[in-house]
Amino acid sequence: MRPRVLIVDDEAPARERLRSLLDELGQADVVGEAVTGEQAVQRAAELAPDVVLLDVRMPGIDGIEAAKHMNVLEQPPAVIFTTAFDEYAMKAFDAQAVGYLLKPIRKEKLAAALAHASRLSRPQLRKIGNPGDTRSHIAVRHREGLKLIPLDEVQFFFAEQKYTTVRHLKGEDLIEDSLRSLEDEFGSALVRIHRNALVSVRYLEGIERNADGQYFVRLRGCDAPLQVSRRMASELRERFRI
Amino acid sequence: MSNGTDGADESLYLPDFCTSRAALANVLIVELTALILTLAHENVGVGFWTDLSRTSLFLLWIGLAGAALLCWMRAPLNRLQVRRGSAAVLLLISALIAVISAGAYYLGRSDLVENAGASALFPPDLAPFLARNGVIGFVVTALALRYFYVTHEWRRNIEMQATARVHALQARIRPHFLFNSMNTIASLTRSNPAVAEEAVQDLADLFRANLSDKRDTITLEQEYEVARTYQRIEELRLGSRLRVDWKIDSLPRKALVPGLMLQPLLENAIYHGIEPQPGGGTVTVTGELSGNLITIVVRNPVGNYESEREGNRLALANIRERLGLLYGERGLVKSGRFDNEFIVTLRFPHVETLHEA
Repeated sequence: MRPRVLIVDDEAPARERLRSLLDELGQADVVGEAVTGEQAVQRAAELAPDVVLLDVRMPGIDGIEAAKHMNVLEQPPAVIFTTAFDEYAMKAFDAQAVGYLLKPIRKEKLAAALAHASRLSRPQLRKIGNPGDTRSHIAVRHREGLKLIPLDEVQFFFAEQKYTTVRHLKGEDLIEDSLRSLEDEFGSALVRIHRNALVSVRYLEGIERNADGQYFVRLRGCDAPLQVSRRMASELRERFRI
Repeated sequence: MSNGTDGADESLYLPDFCTSRAALANVLIVELTALILTLAHENVGVGFWTDLSRTSLFLLWIGLAGAALLCWMRAPLNRLQVRRGSAAVLLLISALIAVISAGAYYLGRSDLVENAGASALFPPDLAPFLARNGVIGFVVTALALRYFYVTHEWRRNIEMQATARVHALQARIRPHFLFNSMNTIASLTRSNPAVAEEAVQDLADLFRANLSDKRDTITLEQEYEVARTYQRIEELRLGSRLRVDWKIDSLPRKALVPGLMLQPLLENAIYHGIEPQPGGGTVTVTGELSGNLITIVVRNPVGNYESEREGNRLALANIRERLGLLYGERGLVKSGRFDNEFIVTLRFPHVETLHEA
């Protein structure tokens, strides 16, 4: 079966060239193009391509973060990164055996990469970002595809049984990330207030105690008070002087 | 915000008096001074050679003790700035001369010398002896310091030129730009060969400008052309995302500038300011001539996430160095982030021939 390919690059000549190389090879069908990381994630969800040719350096969400979000999809595409020159990324790709192509891309190399394209595993994805880089968005899967929520708009994460709820400025969504993995990734932006809740430091407003001696945090733009465990209450007060 | 007046090497310019080479030079200076003093003196009472011997003996005490003192004080002196360090050295040496002169006078009054009948070789009165030695010592020390300072500056200048050359090599066009341009040209070769041809010519011109070493100084007009060539290539790649607004009509075209001064600034502005923005942006370059001073300001928008990177600092440091080499303290580079803009300001005198610079 001929693979269905999505081309992602912010530069028009680069997209054009990939398209014409793929036409010439005649081994794959181009199903779409995207010019930003956000758009790439949307298109990948809508079009369900088999392979994404993904530029590493793009404005906004870069290729590596886009690949992480795409991996949330039910049928994640295989990813081949393309880059002009990015020493750090190239080293990481080599170390993790992730497919990548150097621009200007050679036709033979493109053919070989398509033949060997494979999905990225979670550990591979974790290790190819820049050290200390965290995602700038949280990906939410829903019927029409993927929605990206900027981390800046997230007020808190709340865990219930199997799912995690993310509460943000525009509503609430369910995600599959565990509180533990979110805490590991965004440690400096989030703070654990309870076994089942992580709140965003930027929305933290105050801490209150009700008649029963139970502590709650108030978050900016958020009515529902969130329970704070006794152990965390004093730590929170000290750390944020609230 | 940083500016161009920071001196990287502010340590004192004195040679290391602890070395044998400096000790030898010191003895030489002392002997020459003794010769001049003796020649300038009417050798009353004693002959020329005796006078020369006693003068050199006296000066050697001062010279060697002075070298020992400077060697011993080297660490604290080195921490001082040029002015204060020089004043401290002058003071130290003058004090030393006073002490040794007084010592010599009292030695002449001692029984040992009186009994040997050698009193005539020693100064008869303390006050004029002290005053004379003090003034001579001060003048000679000041001259020596000036000599050390000029030599030091000259050597430092040579070193700076060498580093500037090395940095210029490092600051050359980013590989990122080269490979992306190659990719653009590869694409255009199929879709629009005429434009591809122009792009290849532009790229060749740009690299020629980058590789030329002999003509370090070019006119503003030439430098503007290099920057425009660079801009054309980036426009092919970035399309409508890149806009550059040049407002430099009032600048004198023949003004001399170090080569590759504007182009790297434009490159930085595009790499850090335009490429990371999904919608692109505008780089504004304004030029102004007021009195004898040329001011060029390059501004680009910056996102929240973008911090000043290594490459940017390197390029700025390089331009600062080269403007400094050409115009000394009259060449100034300032850079900083203001709200949502990154702004680089260059200021240098309007000069059209090299010997004015």
